[in-house]
Amino acid sequence: MGERGRGCCPPMDLMRSEPMQLVQLIIPIESAHLAVSYLGDLGLIQFKDICACLGKWRLLFVFIDAVTMVVFGEMLSLIIMVAGFFLSESMFSVSSFSQLNAEKSPFQRTYAIQIKRCGEMARKLRFFRDQMSKAGLPPAARSVTQDTSLDDLEVKLGDLEAELVEINANGEKLQRSYNELAEYKLVLHKAGEFFHSALSSAEAHQREQASNQTGEESLETPLLSEQETAIDSSKQVRLGFITGLVPRDKSMAFERILFRATRGNVFLKQATVDEPVIDPASGEKVEKNVFAVFFSGERAKNKILKICEAFGANRYSFHEDLGKQAQMITEVSGRLSELKTTIDAGLVHRGNLLQTIGEQFEQWNFLVRKEKAIYHTLNMLSIDVTKKCLVAEGWSPVFATKQIQDALHRATQDSNSQVDAIFQVLHTREMPPTYFRTNKFTSAYQEIVDAYGVAKYQEANPGVFTIVTFPFLFAVMFGDWGHGICLLLATSYFIIREKKLSSQKLGDIMDMTFGGRYVIMLMSLFSIYTGLIYNEFFSVPFELFAPSAYVCRDPACRDATTVGLIKARDTYPFGVDPAWHGSRSELPFLNSLKMKMSILLGVAQMNLGIIMSYFNAQFFKNSVNTWFQFIPQMIFLNSLFGYLSVLIIIKWCTGSKADLYHVMIYMFLSPTDELGENQLFAGQKMTQVEQSVDGEILFSPYSILIISDATRHQGESYAPLPDTEESLQSGANNDSHGHEEFEFSEVFVHQLIHTIEFVLGAVSNTASYLRLWALSLAHSELSTVFYEKVLLLAWGYNNVIILIVGIIIFIFATVGVLLVMETLSAFLHALRLHWVEFQNKFYEGDGYKFYPFTFTLLDNEEE
Amino acid sequence: MGFLVTTLIFVVVGIIASLCARICCNRGPSANLLHLTLIITATVCCWMMWAIVYLSQMNPLIVPILNESE
Repeated sequence: MGERGRGCCPPMDLMRSEPMQLVQLIIPIESAHLAVSYLGDLGLIQFKDICACLGKWRLLFVFIDAVTMVVFGEMLSLIIMVAGFFLSESMFSVSSFSQLNAEKSPFQRTYAIQIKRCGEMARKLRFFRDQMSKAGLPPAARSVTQDTSLDDLEVKLGDLEAELVEINANGEKLQRSYNELAEYKLVLHKAGEFFHSALSSAEAHQREQASNQTGEESLETPLLSEQETAIDSSKQVRLGFITGLVPRDKSMAFERILFRATRGNVFLKQATVDEPVIDPASGEKVEKNVFAVFFSGERAKNKILKICEAFGANRYSFHEDLGKQAQMITEVSGRLSELKTTIDAGLVHRGNLLQTIGEQFEQWNFLVRKEKAIYHTLNMLSIDVTKKCLVAEGWSPVFATKQIQDALHRATQDSNSQVDAIFQVLHTREMPPTYFRTNKFTSAYQEIVDAYGVAKYQEANPGVFTIVTFPFLFAVMFGDWGHGICLLLATSYFIIREKKLSSQKLGDIMDMTFGGRYVIMLMSLFSIYTGLIYNEFFSVPFELFAPSAYVCRDPACRDATTVGLIKARDTYPFGVDPAWHGSRSELPFLNSLKMKMSILLGVAQMNLGIIMSYFNAQFFKNSVNTWFQFIPQMIFLNSLFGYLSVLIIIKWCTGSKADLYHVMIYMFLSPTDELGENQLFAGQKMTQVEQSVDGEILFSPYSILIISDATRHQGESYAPLPDTEESLQSGANNDSHGHEEFEFSEVFVHQLIHTIEFVLGAVSNTASYLRLWALSLAHSELSTVFYEKVLLLAWGYNNVIILIVGIIIFIFATVGVLLVMETLSAFLHALRLHWVEFQNKFYEGDGYKFYPFTFTLLDNEEE
Repeated sequence: MGFLVTTLIFVVVGIIASLCARICCNRGPSANLLHLTLIITATVCCWMMWAIVYLSQMNPLIVPILNESE
């Protein structure tokens, strides 16, 4: 979209989107990476993905065109462009899809490798992060950037990873040997006990035997004497044994299977180990038993070995000889302590390595992500046939032209390239993205508006007025200057510690509250103001500005509770008179006041909305909309609800007793009746007749609107010829854009719907503003209840403990219900009033947002 | 009388606020126009609210009737 009229008014910041342009950059290959990097730092260009749809012929012509423009001037380049356009169109339709893909894939392969490299490095960085978190070392915050190139970083990361993996493997091996030796030591210890006890009992037995043999022969002497059996020692079967550790929970099964497998020909002795032992295989602590199995025969030995393996019982060799046992024990102990020192040294080394990594970690992370983003962007650009330069297309704001050209120039200089990059503005009919330049104050409001719909390119931005009206409507519903002060204190904490909190990572809810701190600040300031007007400080009124206007009718105040007070002094100058609070007629008065106030404020905001549509119509030079949409809308709304507002004000000023409901309804039912006591001003009857007729004949301007809409569409079908430098994509998009088809029935239905929507909407929207009354009533009643029924009640008991409990309950109730819940509720309703009642008068909101290519967003990305 | 005087006070406060904004944050004509718009909107909103509450109390149709306990 080209330039539109400037309209009637001088330009205002934030009112309309920055003017955007479609730019084409032709960058020589050697400076491409640097150029994209600088543009990313600048953050003011949104690249379009043009790689997928270009035929190589068109690129060739683009290149030739660019060269000829530089060399020969515009005329020749125009001819070549047009020729190239037509030629490439024919060739484009002829070339098959496979050719396109063939064009795409070799190109993409170039940068795909780079992206894979970045992916590998990112994986290594993730591995480091895991290791660091396992070791309990958090990575340090990002330090000053040292320029490391990607290749150096890749090498460094590779080395570090290899080293870390090696250290981990060695550590594991050492730990495993340590555990095994620890188990061996236990086995030596416990099995030694077995043998010792067995040996001592055998000796005891032998001594018994010997003593028996010296005795007389008796009937009990065995037929075969011991000596005979001792001689045949060579025929004696030697017992073998196996010692080891078995997990305690498997020990019963182990014993049973051993017994069954060897048919009871083994002897198993077990002893429990008191503390759990670290199993070398799994690395976890397990309760184990030491066992010794005695067997005879080779087959039994094999069976036992297999059963031990099946049960995961670790076997350790053992010597019968006592001397050797003692030797083994000392040896094992020595090795254990050696291993311990080695393992500790290994851990310290690993810790140091992780620390050095941790210092640089964030910076490396950022660098890798930045490079990945650059290569993704480079993939989006298209490379021309000669492979000498890249063509990029993107949207950028007009004010950024100089900055982009500077960045490109610096890139070509820094990369020592021969050729300078070319910067060209393209003319197109596509709708540009919407870009508002916001600061930290206005960005929150813009986000609120964008949440409903992003503004169409260059239409009026409701955010401008939202900055004031949104906190104001919130305050109308929240009005209490005590609560307002609490909100102000809370938000000033956020604002004072802004710098510190913005770099921290807060939780989701805190993040939202922090982001909206300026909104909440304005909300609280306006709440203090409306609180002073409603005269409520935690629901207590004060006589701050002048004495109350109401006094008793007589000095004894006899009639105060029946007929009431009387207005003797001047009207209370600022806000609601404090005499009303707590009286029996407080609610009728306040309800009447607040309902009428809601209608007045609502009519004012809706009129503002319709006036904004007038500004839009002026800006887009749409005179049809001005005369046939704005004026009928103004007349309709004001003849109905504007008139009601005027009646309200007249009734207040004159103190008349006219019933406004009656007046409004009978204005339409029987406009020519006499008004009688409902007369508010002279000539009222004639005015009302006029108003009611206005509403009815208003439908005819809409028929005129339909016809003139038709003429407008017809006029647009004769659009001017496309401008010289067409965007490369618009050729493909010709079918979707271009002239709108003129359809009378469609236009008619559209306008009819719009008419009905507006007429019905006028009533429902005005009634919707009554929520201002409803919420403010709820707030004030809740506040009154908490004050009177909690605080005053606790005060009445004259007991310190009850008073303290009462104060605590009061504080919790105020913070929880009034400050949190009511704030959210009033926020929501004020938002709804803006989004629906205000914006549907003029806002289209079907644009798309400008997302420039920038590196600042990478900081917030999670892997 | 009180109505007009206070309305004039609001107008004066609005003018002073816009002068202050012009003095301390002068950032080019379009930004100045934005600040001016915001200040005028705020002044008008605040005045409207005050005026509505004041007008409604000028000629009251009902008066406060106190509670028995007071």
